[in-house]
Amino acid sequence: MKFTLSWLSTFVSIGDMAPEALAEKLTMLGLEVDAVGRLYQGLDQIITAKVLSVQKHPNADRLSLCEVDTGEETVPVVCGAPNVYQGMVTAMARPGVRLPDGMKIKKAKVRGEQSLGMLCSARELGLSEDHQGIMALEETLAAGISLTEALELSDTMIEVDLTPNRPDCASVLGIAREVAGFTGQTLQLPVDNAPALDGEGIDFSVTIDDPALCPRYTARKLTGVTIGPSPWWLQRQLLAVGLRPINNIVDITNFVMLEYGQPLHAFDFKKIRQGKIVVRRPQESDGTFTTLDGVERTLESDMLMICDGEGPVAVAGVMGGLESEGTEATTEILLESACFDPVSIRKTARRLNLPSEASYRFERGVDPNITLLAMERAVQLMVELSGATVSENGADEYPGRQPLVELDLRVERVCRLLGLSLSSEEIAAYLQSIEFEVSGAGEPVLHVVVPSFRPDIEREVDLVEEIARLYGYNEIPTTMPTIGMDYPDRDGLRLIRKKTAAVCTGRGFYEAINYSFVDEKHLDLMRLPEEDARRKVTRLLNPLTEEQAVMRSMLLPGLLENVQRNINHQQPDLRLFEVGKIFIQQEKGGQPEERYQLCAVCSGSRYPGASPMYFSDQQSDLLDIKGLAEDILESLRIQGTNGALDFVITSEACQPYADPSAFISLVDGETEVGRMSLVKADILQDMGIKQPVCFFECDLDLINDLDVIKKRFVSIPKYPMVKRDIALLVPEKVPAGELLQAIRNHKAEHVESVDIFDVYSGKPIEAGMKSVALSVTYRSTKKTLDDVTVDRIHEKIVNSLMTGFGGRYREGT
Amino acid sequence: MKEELSRLKSEAIESLQRISQASELEPFRVRFLGRKGGSLTGIMRRLSEVSKEDRPKLGQLANTVKEEITTLFEQKKKDLAQHSGTQTKKGLDLSLPGRRIPFGKLHPVTQVMEEMCAIFEGMGFAVAEGPDVETDHYNFEALNIPKHHPARDMHDTFYVSDSILLRTHTSPMQARIMETQDPPLRYIAPGKVYRCDSDITHTPMFVQVEGFLVDRDVSFADLKGVLTSFLQQIFTKDLAVRFRPSFFPFTEPSAEVDIACVICGGEGCRVCKRTGWIEILGAGLIDPEVMKMVGYDPDEYSGFAFGLGVERIAMLKYGINDIRLYYENDLRFLSQF
Repeated sequence: MKFTLSWLSTFVSIGDMAPEALAEKLTMLGLEVDAVGRLYQGLDQIITAKVLSVQKHPNADRLSLCEVDTGEETVPVVCGAPNVYQGMVTAMARPGVRLPDGMKIKKAKVRGEQSLGMLCSARELGLSEDHQGIMALEETLAAGISLTEALELSDTMIEVDLTPNRPDCASVLGIAREVAGFTGQTLQLPVDNAPALDGEGIDFSVTIDDPALCPRYTARKLTGVTIGPSPWWLQRQLLAVGLRPINNIVDITNFVMLEYGQPLHAFDFKKIRQGKIVVRRPQESDGTFTTLDGVERTLESDMLMICDGEGPVAVAGVMGGLESEGTEATTEILLESACFDPVSIRKTARRLNLPSEASYRFERGVDPNITLLAMERAVQLMVELSGATVSENGADEYPGRQPLVELDLRVERVCRLLGLSLSSEEIAAYLQSIEFEVSGAGEPVLHVVVPSFRPDIEREVDLVEEIARLYGYNEIPTTMPTIGMDYPDRDGLRLIRKKTAAVCTGRGFYEAINYSFVDEKHLDLMRLPEEDARRKVTRLLNPLTEEQAVMRSMLLPGLLENVQRNINHQQPDLRLFEVGKIFIQQEKGGQPEERYQLCAVCSGSRYPGASPMYFSDQQSDLLDIKGLAEDILESLRIQGTNGALDFVITSEACQPYADPSAFISLVDGETEVGRMSLVKADILQDMGIKQPVCFFECDLDLINDLDVIKKRFVSIPKYPMVKRDIALLVPEKVPAGELLQAIRNHKAEHVESVDIFDVYSGKPIEAGMKSVALSVTYRSTKKTLDDVTVDRIHEKIVNSLMTGFGGRYREGT
Repeated sequence: MKEELSRLKSEAIESLQRISQASELEPFRVRFLGRKGGSLTGIMRRLSEVSKEDRPKLGQLANTVKEEITTLFEQKKKDLAQHSGTQTKKGLDLSLPGRRIPFGKLHPVTQVMEEMCAIFEGMGFAVAEGPDVETDHYNFEALNIPKHHPARDMHDTFYVSDSILLRTHTSPMQARIMETQDPPLRYIAPGKVYRCDSDITHTPMFVQVEGFLVDRDVSFADLKGVLTSFLQQIFTKDLAVRFRPSFFPFTEPSAEVDIACVICGGEGCRVCKRTGWIEILGAGLIDPEVMKMVGYDPDEYSGFAFGLGVERIAMLKYGINDIRLYYENDLRFLSQF
């Protein structure tokens, strides 16, 4: 809602309050001021100038050579306007002055003739769209005074961002009422009473077929109308709030709507067939309807139409029809001032995609008791500005008259909810200041009658808010609640997510957050087969773009896009992870299943950003990702149903987007809780990624269901350990991890831990074989182990490995 | 042998005095005190060759000399250790950057969200989460936003079906929790929310922290207290905060909360549109209709609720000027926080 201070001042005095101070006050009352704009800035540099003589330019047909009185001197000016004449008072920009569009006026020679300034059109000064010629001002104006002063242009526009609960303030009147409230003034309305209309003796009729959708409809007829431009004072108010002046009648309906908050509509009376107005829903016979913007509209049975004796002439409260629209030739007008059901208007405006100043007000709630007053204001202006005569009587159908809302307000309730101690009288005074009728001041319960312009006040608590805002939110004290202590259960999954993220960042992974909605093509990119559960996506009905059309069912594609982006920006060494939800659609149209997953990817250098001087410049591989998985499991201390989770090397369980020759499934028995692999090469190729990418996917909801290994202290060993190394030659195809596992499974006495410290193949090792170096740590809890004991156990282990894997001691060790 | 011992002693003292580097200590020890070829050991070995009468005296003397030399040697060792950097490997250039193992960082949105949660948890709020794909009922109806209410204009909603949508705020958790629990309640609900809006100041997905507290006699003054305290904690201790009336269908009275512009300190700048204030959150006392819908008696209980945008707070805290950077996951962005 925009208004000007000059307009507001016609309702209420703002005294010497600065525009910013007023804006601040309104903002603190809940009418948030979005902008305070000085109007006509720079126009104080423009002066009035009198044209003393006009001659043809010797070297140009369309230019005139003028002598112009600037109030101080007489100067020559070359002018191209057709309407310049001797004796004209117009607006002039002298050399050095800047026009609103930024153009700076200079002394110039135009086709050989000197020109010391420019005579301006209204458009050049940003005053209106008029560019027919230079401005023709009152001839009585003296030359040399600033245009701001001459046209009383010193004004400020204020724009309020209205919340949907305050339809009353979508009018200068409503804003003025608030100002009157806090300044203790009485409102001055330009028209404050209107004659009652009873339909006697008029030559048209109004029938409301659907009173639920149209509580009130009033209309009056004007004759002898002359359509023409509006006077400057009216045009400037419309222009200042961003409306384009059209003609006196349309401008007046707009002006009064902005002033009183009542949308009005002017029909060309001669086009109202049979002189009948019927407010009803469309009938099949009505067919389509062309609105005044020239668009043919399909009507639906729950829309509300204004019809004449034969068919629709307007979509009620939304837009008039092309047929019944007034034109330059219009001489008789039927002026409508009505009230429509907010929900119906809102639906219709949505359906037709026709938001308008009128529908904006109707869908929020127009005061049904302002109808006649606004009509009277418009009628008076039309009589004055278009030479019209108004019929004495008119129609006023008011089937939806509602009693005013009456509420009880408990003083104690107000104080308790706001944390204040106000008296009954103080509360009454606040409400009375904004025209609420209050009785019972002094009593513990006040009786309040809510004015009809405040449809948002329906309950006691709504009055509490009124008191709070009038008292001032900032004046309300600041206290801390006193509430009993308790310790609600912590969300286990949230803790797991936090711990997982902590391990990832500690291991050099950066957290990424991607949009939850993705391109459905991701599923094809990931080579998911038709029957894959992840193809059951949740689709948006109204996505912004196809790239954000379905809820993601995997995290990996998003991270791959991040990898792609970073590589394209010269950052090929990457470790990224995301902890977020995936969505699997269940039954159609219902809510999907939402699961938290972790996905981590790594590519490029093992130690991104670290100097190869310290860490050899190795490339990361799947074991880096496996290490991350192991670290996460250890940090979370989770165990499977039967002991530790297993890392199973398998190509059977391989995912369509993974490399089957390098796939590890993380399982608890039969249940896969995670998986790690390399992204399939052809997928990377599709994305233009030219380096291998390893990934780890893990379902955190499943992890959350697993048992946590309790922390239990075990005595620190008293006796020293003994380490023995084994270097075994085994066939190359034997997985080294199986050697480890075999030693562990051997369960030999005193074996504390086993580790692999080297795997090597190549010369001098014979082809087809590899050397695996293992280190076994022995320790007893009861004594220091002697060499003989350790050797005996160690030999057994080595022998069993050799027989088990067809290995032999590596010579030379 | 006696002379030999005293010559050895003075020789040892003299050469010990000449020692200036730790590296010379070991040759000295080997030469004089070494067990295998040390001069002193050599002399002592020859003790068996002297006469029985002289042997005790000479033996004693040899021991004394050995002790003296050993003491002096140990002293020299200590002195040298004190005065030189014997622990530092020769040639280590200390001006080189430290040897760091690279580590990652949490996304700035997560960092700020966790910081916010921690502050509220410190005040006794518990954290709860709900579904991103929500029902129209919890997202709107239960929050007193019926169909065709103009307030739905404030939420540009992504729909999945007529009754299912992407939550436009995390406020549905208010209704979900109140439905199943009795007051007193203190919860915050962090999570992703979605609105179909995308430009330099809006992403279609963003993270919100919703919070609410319900008990007997909870007042607007309490709401002011908790939020002021939170804002001063997350920004600066002496931050100016102002509350002004606003409208949300699920709170009454409703408030918009501004903080003094953290960029210009309230002087007025581009970020605060020259007002000196920055809108930071919406809040209010929970509307009695919302209470009634979950079966609470609004005359018995009252409470407040608030909603905070995490990206916005992170932008103000870190001076991020384009919200779209958050979800591009460029390392040059992620590594800054």
